Amino acid sequence: MGRYHYVFPKWSNALLPALCVTGLVAPLYLVFIVAYGFSPITTDVGYQPVQPVPFSHQVHAGQLGMDCRYCHNTVEDAAKAAIPPTQTCFNCHTQIHKDSPNLAPLWESYETGEPMEWIRVHDLPDYAYFSHAAHVSRGVSCVECHGRIDKMEVVYQQETLSMGFCLECHRDPEGRVRDPALVTQLGWGFEFDEDQRREEGRKWIERNDLDPSQNCSVCHR
Amino acid sequence: MSPLDHNRPRGKAYWRSLDDLADTPEFREFVFREFPAGATEMLDSGERRQFLKIMGASLALAGFGLAGCRRWPKEQIAPFANRPEGRVPGAPEYYATSMELGGVADGLLVTSFDGRPVKIEGNPEHPVSRGGSGVEAQASVLELYDPDRSRYPMLRETDSRHQSSWHAFETWATKHFDSLGNAKGGGLAVLSEATESPSVGDMRARVMKRFPRAAWYEYEPINTDHEMAGSNAAFGATYRPQYSFNRAKVVVSLDSDFLLASRAMVRNTRDFAQGRKRLLDGTSTRLYVFESAFSLTGANADNRFAVRSRDVSAIAALLAARLVPDAAASASAREQSDRATPEVLGLDAAVLDQVVSDLKQSRGDSIVLAGPRQPAEVHVLAALINEHLGSVGRTVRYTPLPDATQSVPSITSLTKDLDSGRIHTLVILGGNPAYDAPADLDFAGKLSSQRLKSVHLSIYDNETSRLCTWHLPRAHYLESWADGRAWDGTWSIAQPLIEPLFGGRSPLELLAVMEGGDVRAGYDIVRRTMSESAKRTDFEQAWRRTLHDGFLAGSAATLMRPDVRRPACIAAVESIWQQWAPAPAGEMELVFVPDTKVYDGRFANNGWLQELPDPMTKLTWDNAVLAGVEAAGRLGVTTGDRVRVTHGDRQVEAAVCVMPGQCSNSVTLSLGYGRPHGGTIAEGAGFDFYALRTADAMGFTTGAVEKISGHYPLAQTQDHHAIDSTAGKGTQARLPSLFREATLQQFKDNPRFANDHHHTGAHAVHRLSLWNETNLEGAVYAWAMSIDLNACTGCSACVVACQAENNIPIVGKDQVLRGREMHWLRIDRYFQGHDPETPRSVGMQPIPCMMCENAPCEQVCPVAATTHDKDGLNVMVYNRCVGTRYCSNNCPYKVRRFNYFDYWKRGPEREMGLLHVKPDYYTKPQTDMHPLRRMQMNPEVTVRSRGVMEKCTYCIQRISVAKIEAKNAWVKMTPEQKQRQPRATVPDGSLTTACAQACPAQAIIFGDMNDPTSRVSDAFKGARSYQMLEEINTKPRTRYLAKLRDPAPVGAQEAGSAGHEEPNHG
Repeated sequence: MGRYHYVFPKWSNALLPALCVTGLVAPLYLVFIVAYGFSPITTDVGYQPVQPVPFSHQVHAGQLGMDCRYCHNTVEDAAKAAIPPTQTCFNCHTQIHKDSPNLAPLWESYETGEPMEWIRVHDLPDYAYFSHAAHVSRGVSCVECHGRIDKMEVVYQQETLSMGFCLECHRDPEGRVRDPALVTQLGWGFEFDEDQRREEGRKWIERNDLDPSQNCSVCHR
Repeated sequence: MSPLDHNRPRGKAYWRSLDDLADTPEFREFVFREFPAGATEMLDSGERRQFLKIMGASLALAGFGLAGCRRWPKEQIAPFANRPEGRVPGAPEYYATSMELGGVADGLLVTSFDGRPVKIEGNPEHPVSRGGSGVEAQASVLELYDPDRSRYPMLRETDSRHQSSWHAFETWATKHFDSLGNAKGGGLAVLSEATESPSVGDMRARVMKRFPRAAWYEYEPINTDHEMAGSNAAFGATYRPQYSFNRAKVVVSLDSDFLLASRAMVRNTRDFAQGRKRLLDGTSTRLYVFESAFSLTGANADNRFAVRSRDVSAIAALLAARLVPDAAASASAREQSDRATPEVLGLDAAVLDQVVSDLKQSRGDSIVLAGPRQPAEVHVLAALINEHLGSVGRTVRYTPLPDATQSVPSITSLTKDLDSGRIHTLVILGGNPAYDAPADLDFAGKLSSQRLKSVHLSIYDNETSRLCTWHLPRAHYLESWADGRAWDGTWSIAQPLIEPLFGGRSPLELLAVMEGGDVRAGYDIVRRTMSESAKRTDFEQAWRRTLHDGFLAGSAATLMRPDVRRPACIAAVESIWQQWAPAPAGEMELVFVPDTKVYDGRFANNGWLQELPDPMTKLTWDNAVLAGVEAAGRLGVTTGDRVRVTHGDRQVEAAVCVMPGQCSNSVTLSLGYGRPHGGTIAEGAGFDFYALRTADAMGFTTGAVEKISGHYPLAQTQDHHAIDSTAGKGTQARLPSLFREATLQQFKDNPRFANDHHHTGAHAVHRLSLWNETNLEGAVYAWAMSIDLNACTGCSACVVACQAENNIPIVGKDQVLRGREMHWLRIDRYFQGHDPETPRSVGMQPIPCMMCENAPCEQVCPVAATTHDKDGLNVMVYNRCVGTRYCSNNCPYKVRRFNYFDYWKRGPEREMGLLHVKPDYYTKPQTDMHPLRRMQMNPEVTVRSRGVMEKCTYCIQRISVAKIEAKNAWVKMTPEQKQRQPRATVPDGSLTTACAQACPAQAIIFGDMNDPTSRVSDAFKGARSYQMLEEINTKPRTRYLAKLRDPAPVGAQEAGSAGHEEPNHG
């Protein structure tokens, strides 16, 4: 060894191939992790579970033009936009399509009093506290997070609902705020161009003194 | 030289514990290493390599975890099939109810989410509670969800017990009670807990109508027998004294812990705190306490005298003799009373003179009260003195208790009847007499007699249940209809918030089974009682109103002014002197006190209460023999040593805890621990001193204490989280700056004493910051908190309220021993004075997060997990936290808590060996939280996992909700309205934190300091307001109002003026 004692010993040459392989694979691995981490699979965009009853928002909210708040009636006053009780369905369905086999699970729930088990589509992490009332009453439309529900036969998740998605709007709410009376008009505003839309938003931001917080504490408790 | 330096040669003026006073290595260790065990292992290279190996492996494993296809599991939403009107999923609902304990009902307001009661608060509209609550009420929600609760009726047949059903019981009961009915109930007895419930009274009358020859007994281990006997002797009838501490200028407590160990604790504390405000006007207001144990009332006294409990009767007689001419000792008693010299009683000669002159000076504005431990004679004399001084009708009033039963005579006669075989069927409604009945009655032995048919209704399958023929699960008060009488007699309703989880039934429903009538449901019984009593045509309206309010308005008992019968007083004085004798040398007095946490033992399986540090001893998870410093020296023991306590031929082996201020000739034994069948939490906790308590000496007795071999670790939190701003140096110089207090005279001389240079420790307050300060300009709100040390008694209701509100786990005794308790809010207790035997005073200081505007924790977090928000709150983002604990290290107030082990999932561990846990504690797979425990979680607060730092948030969930609601309402206003009110605001007083809400003394004020009219702004403007460690420029949002005391210049106070011995204070 002598003066070369600080040089790698001979046997370490055998490690060279392994090192090369690692050097090649590691970047690929990183790319994979990043791509996977941000992909719709992990953010759940497009998640479209099959519900126990094939309820069509397209028919009810789109064709029939029912207001979102007919069923989700707590949305303006409470954090949660309640999934309607079975009773709500039978305000109409005791008359209409009463014998449809699709309604069988609903009838069962209606008669036994056992709840329907719907599958949650839009699911925020438990450490994020979102209030529907705080957004809807200030003119953030349902469409901003849920998309055109009135055109969905089966509801799916359209936006990432990630923190970045929330912050995007909290940083720059202009293009996403409207007259609180129009929040359930999902088709409203598509005819505007970007500037008109922002103009409209600014008006309501000023009128309602909106200043969306970007502090952690606004969602995390 | 610091102006406080001259104190040093005489030892410490403020100390957290005896270890602190003596500056032992153990205390220094706690100050030096905040996380004593395991924190510095990384310095050792061998440990580090091992650590890296494990971490590497866990990282590799974490990779597998990524392989799911959704971020979290599929979730279902189950809406109501038919949602009740007005019900909003996920929104809180509030119901008024009440909880009866020891025969007195507390008015409560319960928060319920989606049908799950999660938080208990005092009912703000209830005339007695007025929003305040004690620790028992706060913690009772945990009992509802206790997995150890009894789930099935159990039937004992000869030697075996087996699971049975309500149906089987009812079949048996119908047959059995029918046959008893034929005998008119001969041989039937009912043993009830103390209760003033009108419905129970009504059911009792109905049961007695069916069984005229049956007998009814009542027993409560923590009772007011002596008070009742005293009242009977003095007035010829049973009255309950109602004290107005808010109006009293002089209060003399004869062994009474009215600020904690009283069922009127909430009202007393509020009134007392209100009375202390008189000091701010410069009016003298004094509390004298004569007691043996160092109680919370003693800690709040201006002058406290440690005397034997037995000598308190002599003191009462001496006081009476000097105040009331009729009460002078007769010639025959004179000889005895002359022996009771101040030296014999252990008092300074001037003490009684001072008390007498103070009482005479404030005629009509004084209260003399005797504790429940003291014999009836002392109660008679207290009533006599109050009457003679003209206090009756002003500070002392009486309400009648016509139906009250004295516990000990009752259970003694029951035992006799069991012995003689007169009783063959015993129905026990609640309680646990096999565990807590007087030891000499051998109640457990009588109960296990084979020919006795016994039925026990109880929440737990406890010691008594095991001996009874039938054990029946009892419905929790949050599950059943009931009623009771509050301290002032107000008829308070208990309504269920949830269906019985385990099909339990209430005592009313069991009585209905016995009665055999048609009305069986609790609701119907309570409603019937009230409608029959009210006899009103508009009853429906009154009933609805009662359910809404939680009580029947105007139903308080009439306040009366009965006359004290003079012959009774003369007899009382005679009797006191006949029985009193000076203490023989070496005799030890044993004083029994209800435990400040588990009460009489019924809350022993409540983890929140077990882990709550006792306000005085700061002991968790155990009780102990509390011995004074001198007594411990005499016995040759120190904290944790095992001792044997003997009373006659009864003995208990226990551990000793050295308590400053404890009378040197007596030891304090708190009841309720050492439960053999208490449940998984109670298992192995503490020592059962009921074994020494006999029917003739329920309050105190004499006995002996001797050292035996062995050591028992006691988990005291007193040295944990010691504030030490200058790394061990100069803590003493700094302490008067942490806890600031002054005497009335000092306050008069210098009203701004709290901010003079003595208190700031002569340290310059630096206003230059090392870094850019958080920009809070333009903030709508600036949340802040003011804590009035003058009002705070240290009762700890806030600590439990915080735990319930914020989903704070319990960690277990083992982890508490390591300094890892999770309470976000702690109460620092400082003894003051140089003599550990007689501390001059006690300082109680609740410490939540200070919400520093210049938060030192934020500067050191490598991942910005703790940041500032615009409202000035120092917020903790759990999901960002990687657990470096730098923030905790850098927090000068020591308010940050680290979750080491997913305590929610593991449950508390208690291992007897010092600092040893079960080997699998760290490695065993973490099961999910028990589904029952999960039901108690506040859904508005994140349940933190391990490896995450957490701390007080100022109840940010409440702030968020209030802000959202205010803004929602504002947005909906018309433009004209908006012009009048240009921005959304949360009205002052409409939002408060859990601690401030619970505080019976109303010592904590929370609000917006941007609003110049808010209560917190007012408090900050006050002369007594100060910031803790202001000199390090943290700009805390939590500030304190300095404490005032008004000690008389006698006793321990003579050694120096109070405060910090500044001759020219200020």
